[in-house]
Amino acid sequence: MSQFLTRRSGQLASLLAVGAIALALAGSAACGGGSSSPAGGPAGGNAVRPERGGELSVSARTEPRTFNRLASREATTDLVASLMQAKLVRINRVTDDVEPWLADSWTRDAGGLAYTLKLRPNVAFSDGHPMTADDVVFSLEAAYAVPLAADALQPGGKKLTMAAPDPLTVVLTFPVPYAPGLRILDNLWVLPKHKLEAALRSGSIESAWGLSTPPADLAGLGPFVLSAYSPGQRMVFARNPRYWRKDEKGTQLPYLDRLTIEVVPEESTQLLRLTSGASDVTISEVPSEAYATVKREAEAGKLRLYDLGVGYDADAFWINLRPGAFKSDPRAGWLQRDEFRRAISMAVDRQLFADTVFLGAALPAYGPITPANKKWFSPDAPRTPHDPAGARALLASIGLTDRNGDGMLEDAGQKPVQFTLVTQKGRPRLERGVSVIRDELKKVGIAVDVVTLDASAVIDQIMSGKYEALYYSVYFNGTDPASNPDFWLSSGSTHLWDIGQKKPATEWEARIDELMARQMRSGDEAERKRLFDDVQKTFAEHLPAIYFAAPRMFAAASRRVINVTPAVQRPQLLWSPDTVAVAK
Amino acid sequence: MVAYLARRLAFAVFLVFAVSSAALVLAKLAPGDFAADSLGLGASPEAIAAARARYGLDRSLGAQYGAWIAGAARLDFGQSLLFDRPVADLIPERAANTAILSLTALLAATLIGLPLGVVTGSRPGGFLTGAIRTASLLLLSMPPLLTSLFLVFAAARTGWLPVGGMTTASTTSGWTGDVLRHLIVPAAALALPLAAMFERLQSQSMSEVIGQPYMLATHARGVPAARAIWRDALKGALGPIAAVYGLVVGTLLSGSFAVEAITAWPGLGELMLAALRARDVYLVAGCAVAGSVFLAIGTLLSDAALALVEPRTRET
Repeated sequence: MSQFLTRRSGQLASLLAVGAIALALAGSAACGGGSSSPAGGPAGGNAVRPERGGELSVSARTEPRTFNRLASREATTDLVASLMQAKLVRINRVTDDVEPWLADSWTRDAGGLAYTLKLRPNVAFSDGHPMTADDVVFSLEAAYAVPLAADALQPGGKKLTMAAPDPLTVVLTFPVPYAPGLRILDNLWVLPKHKLEAALRSGSIESAWGLSTPPADLAGLGPFVLSAYSPGQRMVFARNPRYWRKDEKGTQLPYLDRLTIEVVPEESTQLLRLTSGASDVTISEVPSEAYATVKREAEAGKLRLYDLGVGYDADAFWINLRPGAFKSDPRAGWLQRDEFRRAISMAVDRQLFADTVFLGAALPAYGPITPANKKWFSPDAPRTPHDPAGARALLASIGLTDRNGDGMLEDAGQKPVQFTLVTQKGRPRLERGVSVIRDELKKVGIAVDVVTLDASAVIDQIMSGKYEALYYSVYFNGTDPASNPDFWLSSGSTHLWDIGQKKPATEWEARIDELMARQMRSGDEAERKRLFDDVQKTFAEHLPAIYFAAPRMFAAASRRVINVTPAVQRPQLLWSPDTVAVAK
Repeated sequence: MVAYLARRLAFAVFLVFAVSSAALVLAKLAPGDFAADSLGLGASPEAIAAARARYGLDRSLGAQYGAWIAGAARLDFGQSLLFDRPVADLIPERAANTAILSLTALLAATLIGLPLGVVTGSRPGGFLTGAIRTASLLLLSMPPLLTSLFLVFAAARTGWLPVGGMTTASTTSGWTGDVLRHLIVPAAALALPLAAMFERLQSQSMSEVIGQPYMLATHARGVPAARAIWRDALKGALGPIAAVYGLVVGTLLSGSFAVEAITAWPGLGELMLAALRARDVYLVAGCAVAGSVFLAIGTLLSDAALALVEPRTRET
C-alpha cells in the first residue's frame, strides 16, 4: 500500500550543465556585489499581505503523464491534480496534521472503525455541477478500479467501504482497525461523477482524462482550471471562479489569477530561468550541486532561498537478500550475511559521504526514518560507527581475509570479495554516492563494480530480484509508518531487499511484521511510538538496507512570490497553491 | 539522372525502415519498460502486470514489432504510451518545430559560413583570415550542448532574449515575432559550429580552385578579381559543401536533441528524449521515423545538388 515515488531526473549531461552554469554564475555573481540575503526563512516575503491577482510561472522538468491522477503519481501529474482537484481532508505538509478540507467535520464511532464525515455545503465543481456525497462514493469506487490508486486505499490489504446517507454526509468504514485513520483520505481525490461515470462503467477510467482531453471536459474542486495546454511547452491554469475556499479575511481564494507550468527539461535552464526572472518557482527542490549558485543569487537579491531542513528520505543501499538469489554462486556463503552488511555500514565514513555526495548539505543517516520525521524518528536506534578496522575484523570473522597480500579480501575459496552495485544513471547524487561507497569499501578490501542503468531498468531489477546490490532513492508515501506497510512488512511490494515474501524469510522480519501489525492497529499513540521504536531498533540490528546520509533540502523562488508555506515534502513551495500570491 | 535519383530514393526508403525498426527493437530489448517506469517502485506486481496488459507490452517482441510494422505501412505508428495519443498526431507538430529550428540554423550557417570561407580561401594571409580561422576552430571544438548552455546563460544574464521555450505564455509581439525571438538562441547554438564547418570546407575548396589553370586564365582575361572569386571560383568550389549537406541535416537533427533539451524547444529531439526516458517504445520508433525521413530528404537533396554540380557522381 505504501507508495514510493520514484524521482525521475536522469537528464542529459545535467551534471556538466549545472556545473558549467554554476561556474559561470559564480563568476558573474562575484562581480555583482553582495546585498543581504533573505535565505533561510519561510517568513521571507510573507510580511507582505497577499492580494488577489497576478500570475505565477512554474518550471517543471516533465509534462504530466495524464490529467487523471488515478493513473499516475509522477510529480507533475500530482501538481496538476493539486491545482485542479481536492480531497476530503488534507495533510498539512508543514504541521503534518489532518485538516478539514471538502469535509468540514467528522465523528468516529465507538468501535473506532466508522467515521461520519460532513461535507461543506454549497461546494460546486468548476463546471458548476454541485458536489455531493455521491461524488465521494464514486471517487472511491473509481480509485479501486485502478490498481495504482487502489494500493493506497486498502488498509491491511482490504477495501474501505463508503455510504452516502444524504447529499452532505459520507460514512466511511474501515475493514480493520487502522491507527492513521482519516490520513488515508489524503490519497483520495474527489472526482466529478457526472463527468467520469461513463468511463468507470465502460472499464476505461484509467485512460480517461488523457492529455488529449479538451480543457473544457475537465472539472474539479481545486483552486484552478486548465485553460490551455500546449504539448511540450506549457499548461495555463486560470482561477476556478467556483472555488470554495476563502482566506481568514473572507477573500475568495486562490489569490492568483493565473498559474502557468512551463516544461523545461534541463535543470540548468530551469535555474537560469529562475535567476533571470523568466520563471518564479520550480516544482522540485534545489539540487545540492546548484545550492552554492542559488545561494549567491539569493544574496544578490534575485531570489529567495528557503532552507527546509533535513529531508524525510535518504537514499538506500541494499544487497539482494532473496533466498536462493545466489544459489549457484560461491559468494552465497557470505554475501547475504548480517556481518557483511554491518561491515559495509562500518566501512563507510558517513560524514565524508555527506560532504562528497551532497556537497556538505546533508547529515549522516543510520536508518530509513530521518530526523525530519520528528514524531517517529528514534534517536535511540543503534548506530554503526565509522570503524574500518572493526569492519575488517568483522569480515575476517566470516572468513573474508586478504589471502594473497594484494590488499583486497578473498573468501575461503580464494575468490575475491566482490559484488556489482547498480544505480540509476544520470542522477548526480546517486552516481556520486556509488563512487564513495566503492572507494570506501575498497579501503577495507571489498571490490565493487558499479553499473548505472535507466530508472525503468533499475525498477525492473528490483521487482524481478535479479541484482546483487542496489543504491537507489526510495520515497515514503507519508510520514506515518502505517502509511508504508509495503516497506516494512515482509509481504510488501517495496520490501526492497526481498520483495513480496509469502511468509517472513527471517526471524527478525517476522518480528518486524508482528510489531508493525500491532503498530498499525493500536489506538494508543504512545504505544505506537514504542512499537515503532522497536521496529527501528530491529532494523538497525540487521541492516537490510543501509543509509549513509539524509540531505538538507532547499527551495528557491523569485522575490515576487509571497505567502508561501515551505514544506520539506514536494512540491515544497506549491503544496498549498490556493494561498500562494505574488507581490504587486 | 532519373535512374540515379531512383536508386537514392530506394536507399532512403530502406534507411527509414532500418532506423525505425532498429529504434523500436532496441528500445524494446533494453531492460525495464514503460509500465515499470510509469508506476514506479511502489506499485504492486498486479498493478504492473495490469498496466503491461493494457499497453500491450506483455506480448512478445515479434508480435509487437509485427503489429507495429503492419500499422506503419498504413502510416499508423501506434499509440504513444506516454501521451495517450496517436504517435502520428504527435510527430507532425514537433517535427515542424524541429524543421523550423534546423532550417533556420542551416540557412544561417550557410549565409555565414560560405562567404567567410570564400574570404579566407581567397586570402591565404592577413589578420581577417587569421581571426576567422581562429573563431572557426574555437566554434568547431565546442559541441552544440555547450554552445547552447553559453547562449542560454548569456540570454539570462543580459535579458535581451528569452531563456528557453518557443513562445511566451503572454506575449504582445504576435506569434511570429515571439517565435523569432525564441528562435535566436537555439538556432545560433546549432548554426555557429555548422557555420565554422562550412567556412573551413569552403576555404579549403576555394584555395584549391583558385590555383587551377582556368582561374589563372580568367585573371589573364582581365576579369575583375572580386567577380572571378565570387562567380567563377565559388561555382567550382561548391562541390564539397554540396556533398556534406545531406550529412549536415542528420548532424543538425542529432545536435538538436541536446540543444532542444537545453533551450526547452518543443521539437522532435525533446520529444524523443522524453520518449526514451519513459521507455515509450512506439513514440521512440515514431521519432526515429521522422528523424530518418529528415535525414533521407537531406541526403536526397544533397545527392541531387551534387549530381547537378558534379555530373560524374551520377555514374556511381
